[in-house]
Amino acid sequence: MYLGEFEQIVLLAILRLGDEAYAIPVRSEIEDKTGRSVARGALYTALDRLEGKRCLRSRLSDPRPERGGRSRRYYTVTPAGLAALRASRASLLRLWQGLEGRLGS
Amino acid sequence: MTEGMTIRPPRRAERVLARAFGDPVRAEAILGDLHEEYVPRAAASVRAAWLWYWSQALRLSTRLLVRHALDRLRRPRAGPAAPAQPPGDPLMRTLGPEIRHAFRAILKRPGMSAVIVLTLALGIGANAAVFALVDALVFRPFPFPDVDRIVMVVHARDGQIDRRASVSPADFLDLRRQTDAFEHLAALAWWDANLIGRDEPERVQGFMVSTDLFAVLGVRPALGRGFLAGDDTPGRHRRVVLGYGLWQRRFGSDPSIVGRSITIDGSACEVVGVAPAGFDFPMGAQVWSPIAFDPKTAANRTTRYLTVLGRLAAGRTLEDAKAQVALATERLERQYSESNKGLAGRVYTLAHGMRDVGLGPILSMWQASALFVLLIACVNVANLLLARGAERQREMAVRLAIGASPWRVARSMLIESLWLALLAAPAAVASAWAAVTILRGAMPAHIARFVAGWDQIDVDGRLLVATVLLAMLTALLFGIVPAVQCARPKLAESLKDGGRAGAGSARIRLRRSLVMAQMALALPLLAAAGLSVLTVHRYWNGPQGYDPDRLLTMQVVLADGRYHDAATRLRFTRNVVERLAALPGVRSAAAINTMPALGSNSGGTIEIDGQPVLDRANMPRADYRVATPRVFETLGIPLLKGRGIVDSDREETQPVAVVSASLAERHWPGTDPIGRRLKLEDGPWITIVGVAGDVIHDWFARRNYPTVYRPFAQAPSGSMSLLVRTVPEPVALAAAARGAVRAEDPAQPVFDIKTMREALTDRTVGLRYVAGIMGVLGALALVLSIVGVYGVMACLVAQRTHEIGVRIALGATRADVLRLTLAQTGRLTAAGAGVGIALALALTRLIEAGLLGVTRGSPLMLAAVASLLVTAALLAGCLPARRAAGIDPIAALRQG
Repeated sequence: MYLGEFEQIVLLAILRLGDEAYAIPVRSEIEDKTGRSVARGALYTALDRLEGKRCLRSRLSDPRPERGGRSRRYYTVTPAGLAALRASRASLLRLWQGLEGRLGS
Repeated sequence: MTEGMTIRPPRRAERVLARAFGDPVRAEAILGDLHEEYVPRAAASVRAAWLWYWSQALRLSTRLLVRHALDRLRRPRAGPAAPAQPPGDPLMRTLGPEIRHAFRAILKRPGMSAVIVLTLALGIGANAAVFALVDALVFRPFPFPDVDRIVMVVHARDGQIDRRASVSPADFLDLRRQTDAFEHLAALAWWDANLIGRDEPERVQGFMVSTDLFAVLGVRPALGRGFLAGDDTPGRHRRVVLGYGLWQRRFGSDPSIVGRSITIDGSACEVVGVAPAGFDFPMGAQVWSPIAFDPKTAANRTTRYLTVLGRLAAGRTLEDAKAQVALATERLERQYSESNKGLAGRVYTLAHGMRDVGLGPILSMWQASALFVLLIACVNVANLLLARGAERQREMAVRLAIGASPWRVARSMLIESLWLALLAAPAAVASAWAAVTILRGAMPAHIARFVAGWDQIDVDGRLLVATVLLAMLTALLFGIVPAVQCARPKLAESLKDGGRAGAGSARIRLRRSLVMAQMALALPLLAAAGLSVLTVHRYWNGPQGYDPDRLLTMQVVLADGRYHDAATRLRFTRNVVERLAALPGVRSAAAINTMPALGSNSGGTIEIDGQPVLDRANMPRADYRVATPRVFETLGIPLLKGRGIVDSDREETQPVAVVSASLAERHWPGTDPIGRRLKLEDGPWITIVGVAGDVIHDWFARRNYPTVYRPFAQAPSGSMSLLVRTVPEPVALAAAARGAVRAEDPAQPVFDIKTMREALTDRTVGLRYVAGIMGVLGALALVLSIVGVYGVMACLVAQRTHEIGVRIALGATRADVLRLTLAQTGRLTAAGAGVGIALALALTRLIEAGLLGVTRGSPLMLAAVASLLVTAALLAGCLPARRAAGIDPIAALRQG
């Protein structure tokens, strides 16, 4: 399965967050680590799409008062998502091979 | 704590978002996220947080709405409730079997399908052939590079027909100086070149051209160079480029010809190049020479004989050129009001400018006629399909009853039509190809060279594409009516076994109106065809004003170089005419500058003594003839008053003229013109000594046109027609006549030796063409509409078998039944013919224009055509009528 760059970034952020992966921390994690701002709508779209591709699974938490009595949607990366990430990484590494001298700092 | 509880995001923004989501489960987490982020912001500043929430809400919901809309476009009706679809495109899944089914339905009725395909092939073929003509003659008559950048500059004046020779030398030079929209601007002038050399002297079609003509046309010589700037300086201009064909034929493809000297018009010319093969622009030219303007010619503003062509400069448009030429011409008009009054500057594309003025109307008449034939064919096919639809009504009704949508049923009928059209396309291409081949073969080469683009007529890929497109369009046209009819039959009626009335009668009504439409379309076409044939007949057999039988004609152009003054020309002409008259079998002989029915003409303005000239720019005009004595006797033109041209009219005697009856009638109505005087152009006063009968010089424009005849001795012409009135058939004397000219001057070419009848034939080639094509189209229309009448009447009788059986059983005689059926046919055709007559009257103008105004439409012709159509239709109706009369009542009743 092919993953777009932003999709990879989202999956990686979710993996890093572990059990605490819902939209708000995912967004700040991406912004922290990549230094680029993420549109809220773009993130929700990507999450939906990744769930559609079965790279993500989600579950709703219990209602929480700080959210006006609403639930959080927590995400976990599925084995299929992990496999897709590995494949992406492998192909990128293959492409990088031998170029470190020219591109590395 | 209580404070924290009161902090809430704006409710309205939440509602907007919730609505945008639609799905509350999906909305839950996102609304929660927003809430969670809102709270700390609101703690800092409620106002800023409020603004932040709204902007987030609006951005998110817009995004969501756009995504929903896109999803809906991609997957129409593919909601979760939709039943699972098997894979593959749903349209193709149902269309595939339908296409196969339609094809099988066509094969099941081979006879009817063959008739339909043939009808369509004829209709489409006729259209394709005419399209090939129009395409070649109108859209791409010249095979030059970037041909749409080549333009013709025209000085137009009201009432002037010829676009091709319209600019005076002085105006041309001024236009060239005052415009910069053209990369090159070149002038051309007709040139009869007399080629003298090792072989028989020959007259070759030449053109005097500006040195940059080849640059304008984008043509490079095959050999040597073209003309260079400076080749057009008077004195240095005796240089020629030879046509490829001429070079092959006359000089044996000699590559060393370039640089050699050949004799044209009695003087030496240097050959500077050979044109590429196939290049014969304009009008089949075979030799080109630089046009040199001596100071006197360069100042000439009154003789407008130049054709001016230009190539648009880079970045300039036709509109730029139009504006510049219009402006420059206006300036010239102001500056030289005497000569240029009323002149308007126009710019046309090359194809448009070179087009014959009469060609447009002819082609539109053909195109309209071919379209009518196609429409008639379509109506026929629609009729046949309706009949088939009647047979298949039960099938359709069953399909509708078990749940097919009307659109599906109509679609299957349309697919059948499309199949038929596709099957007809190859046959149509074949018939178009045959038609084009015949068209090309029937036009003599010496006429075809004057029709720009004639050699381009061919069946090519564009024609194929056009034909197939036309076939598709036709399929839609003829398929729609039966398709709609079939899609909504009265279900119950059709499913009942004996369903005879109801839907059937509506269908018959429709078919009857289709036949009426057919008649209405066929009638104007037949009228046009009849008129064309009548025109050719009149042209050929009608009075010409002279006697065209037993008259031999030939053309001579004396070269300026060898016959440079009046005396030498006069001597040549006199001696040749004497030699001709002395030949055995010759009754009389004469020379005239322009004989009747010749392609060209000469004329000028006249001034009548005693009638003041009011408007110098719009003086009356007359055709101008110079002729030797006995010209009227030789041509057979009657002398109505006074005397003809006699031997005693000499250069030094009083200038005299004979005028035509129409000129006398126009300028001295009711009085005797003998002894009156007139002036030709800027010449001396001329006394009128006689009046001659009118002549039809040219059926297209010059019928009984005012004409002035002057003695050859008083104004010797360099180009002339020699006329010989013979006792035996004129052809027998052709060799002897040529010998007479050669005896006088062995180096002088004679060309176009033919009888006057042949000359007339050549002039009618175009008209006979028109008549031929119109005749074929008319015949097609007649046949197709008769087939239509027969078809509908036969169907009618078949449907009424039961009723007729009852009538006969109740005592109606066979004659009664015959009358009944024929009356029905009669009513049908009469109504159609009535509409057709109205249509023909409305189209009269188009038809007359298509025949170059030679003939007026006549009521008699219309009546004759209408009765022909009605008679043919009645005959076609006879067959079904007889079948009706022969119905056995017992059998008919039992069957019902």
